[in-house]
Amino acid sequence: MSNLKDIYILGIESSCDETSVSIVKNGVDEIATAVLSQMDTHANFGGVVPEIASRMHIENFTIVIEECLNKANMTMDDITAIAVTYGPGLIGCLLVGVNVATTLSYIYNKPLVPVHHIIGHIYANNLVSKMEFPLIALVVSGGHTDLIYMEDNYKFKKIGGTLDDAVGECYDKVARVIDLPYPGGPLVDKLSSSGKDTYPLPLPLDDDTYNFSFSGIKSAVMNLVHNENQRGNEIRNADIACSFQNRIIEILTKKTMKALKEYNVKNLIIAGGVSANSGIRNKFKELCDKEGIKLTIPNIKYCTDNAAMVAAAGYFAYNKKIRAGLDLKADANANMF
Amino acid sequence: MKYLLIDTTTSHVVISIVEHNEILVKYEDDIMSDMSSKILPIIKDCFDKVNFTIKDLDKIFVVNGPGSFTGIRIGVAIAKTLAWSLKKDIIPISKLELMATTNTDKNYLVPMIDARRDNVFAGIYDNNLNSIKSDSLININELLDELDDNYELLSFDLLDIKNLKKPKLDILKIILKHQNDKPLNPHALKPNYLKLTQAEENIKKENND
Repeated sequence: MSNLKDIYILGIESSCDETSVSIVKNGVDEIATAVLSQMDTHANFGGVVPEIASRMHIENFTIVIEECLNKANMTMDDITAIAVTYGPGLIGCLLVGVNVATTLSYIYNKPLVPVHHIIGHIYANNLVSKMEFPLIALVVSGGHTDLIYMEDNYKFKKIGGTLDDAVGECYDKVARVIDLPYPGGPLVDKLSSSGKDTYPLPLPLDDDTYNFSFSGIKSAVMNLVHNENQRGNEIRNADIACSFQNRIIEILTKKTMKALKEYNVKNLIIAGGVSANSGIRNKFKELCDKEGIKLTIPNIKYCTDNAAMVAAAGYFAYNKKIRAGLDLKADANANMF
Repeated sequence: MKYLLIDTTTSHVVISIVEHNEILVKYEDDIMSDMSSKILPIIKDCFDKVNFTIKDLDKIFVVNGPGSFTGIRIGVAIAKTLAWSLKKDIIPISKLELMATTNTDKNYLVPMIDARRDNVFAGIYDNNLNSIKSDSLININELLDELDDNYELLSFDLLDIKNLKKPKLDILKIILKHQNDKPLNPHALKPNYLKLTQAEENIKKENND
């Protein structure tokens, strides 16, 4: 079924709580993806428990690979190369995926391509619409908040990032303060649409840099709830969610739109789990329409961790001859730059 | 019959290829760091020394615990991937039973792995690898109280115990014992941690209170 010129990358992703395997053709066509999410399990513990996540990965990954190959109606012989997330992420979880990938690479004598998790998130956009360069990428997730300038494929220049908490982490912490269950980030987004922007929260790190800081606004929400409790005032959770979300959207859009102007870039992509946030998506759509910027945001299913993005990024890494040996190391704090 | 044995459950690592009840290659050494990135290169080196490839294997024996949780998963990830993709039989082995292959004059062997805070993973075996007391996580003093001179105490770890002996693994002995075990479907092969995660322990405790 495969044309000789076509490149099929098998992607493997296990950096957090999703065991995922995907086959992507030529970096843009998703042939098949299988995902086993552990979210329901971790919900019982109020957050991802690394050791439990590692245990679930090891039990399930052969089933997930088999499901992916069956869906694609392909065998390992049809695969050109194997791409795997080597970091950043939970080390015990990464180790499972890395050992599976190196073993497959050894058995089938296929090239092994290491993929950085965040680069994977960025390349999820290629599955939606071909990335046009130069571009600015805003990466927003539970572990990252970065503004990145890309001159071409696989050329990354960080122009700003968070100095403390990641934006998704901040969402989850605020969710806990207003009694929303794990994973709370998406619930804050949902709740905010029924609230009003009535609470005076600060605009976080409103300066001339492209950096972000979210620990201040997180503390502001905690203090606000604490003080209102002390005074015996009713706490309007929906209004807190709305006020908080508006401030986050304002600072993200303000710095990103400024970067587009300063770097004279007409393409913006948004990547990472928080790109599923409806408030953020809508505001960026509105601003980009007004400014004539081409905006690409992954479909909701590609916003969270998945192997399709790893396989998509793996194609470009493969073309750039990025390779790993059988001694590939998982790196919990892998640096992208 | 061509066999591969993989044991990465503790820092004392064993990789061996066995054919016709003869050890063709054996790697046995302590790996104190970066185990994950070292195992597959070692396996490749082992196969480079024999005149067949990994695809010619008949069975894979994998030591699936107890030991370090991460170490267990490295070996199990490799073995499961091999067995699943090459459609080979896979047979799980206990690390404690492997340690109990040590030769001794005594009637019983007590292999132990340090599990910290005065706990050990331990079992009791006779000289024919029959299990007398099944593998478990146990307080070391509680375990030693039951034992007399008929028991050979074994560990690779520096446990503070008198008459502790370092195990000397007999790979052929364990393979002969298990080569006719019913093989598992690779999907069903699980690590044998002998211990819940801390988060699960906490929930269990809450439910019992």
